[in-house]
Amino acid sequence: MAELYRKMQLARAYVPFQQYTRRFEPFDGLMRGTIFPELFMPYRPKEMIGRSEG
Amino acid sequence: MWLYEKKLQYPVRVSGPNPWLAKNIITQYGGPDGELSASLRYLTQRYTMPIPEAKGTLTDIGTEELAHMEIVAALVYNLIKDAPLEQIKAHGMDGYYADHDRALYFVDATGNPWTATYIQSKGDPITDLYENMAAEEKARSTYEWLINLSDDPLVTEALRFLRMREIVHFQRFGETLRLVQEWADRKKIY
Amino acid sequence: MRRDRRELLLRIMALDFTALELNLYLDTHPRDARALEDYNKVTQELFTLRQEYQERYGPLIHFGHGFSKYPWQWIEEPWPWEMTF
Repeated sequence: MAELYRKMQLARAYVPFQQYTRRFEPFDGLMRGTIFPELFMPYRPKEMIGRSEG
Repeated sequence: MWLYEKKLQYPVRVSGPNPWLAKNIITQYGGPDGELSASLRYLTQRYTMPIPEAKGTLTDIGTEELAHMEIVAALVYNLIKDAPLEQIKAHGMDGYYADHDRALYFVDATGNPWTATYIQSKGDPITDLYENMAAEEKARSTYEWLINLSDDPLVTEALRFLRMREIVHFQRFGETLRLVQEWADRKKIY
Repeated sequence: MRRDRRELLLRIMALDFTALELNLYLDTHPRDARALEDYNKVTQELFTLRQEYQERYGPLIHFGHGFSKYPWQWIEEPWPWEMTF
């Protein structure tokens, strides 16, 4: 990450590279929608800022 | 060349006939941020991608989106196939029924037909990758609004799967963007 | 669809998804040796499971990618959107 910040330029978007370490079991991954724990970001309507419903 | 695998990517289930939910979910079949748009956007942009990683990513995500189109179609099909006409009328799907019966057609939630203006192919790989990252975010938002609307927990499971795929695709396009930026920088130096 | 067929198909779907995820990862990380090793392992496992399924229930993939018994099994129902899980 430090390397990335040094090289960053203005007026560009950057997404850090994922580093593969471990994965969910195949069926668990299919149910979650990803096999990568670090990318698993489920939707929780209640946490949405500025919204009353959910 | 493409091959068809005779199975869904995700095991689709519905609780029963629900034309009202089908009428909303169909936007991910033929709407602006739907799966047809996604697939065709990536599969047509790939020809002008400059590096192998980008050609691979667009080919593979574009192909996966076809599988998502099939998941959305399976949802809509199963939500309307056994719906009685009275329910179709009561659920506001009568307009769709007048034109298509219970067939699948590429429209958004309010009946607008699919159009090529939903996608873009600019020739500049960096511009195209930004478009794709935005497209994944728009699709993610749409799935969240559909999850908020859904009154069928089995359908919600499939919507959650499809929403998660948008996040993974965003990550891959983000990494592809980095690789293309590095490629463009190298080209400037030498 | 019978339970044993559904269970075998779900195992294939789950492994297929793992292979797809590793494939997309490798597209942007072509030199990640561990991910590549896992991809090849999963591909080998998938090959065996697909063979078992196709032997029992007919081709999963058309156009010369799976054998058929008589009569032509490819058109046998259920099609994917007709399957109940």
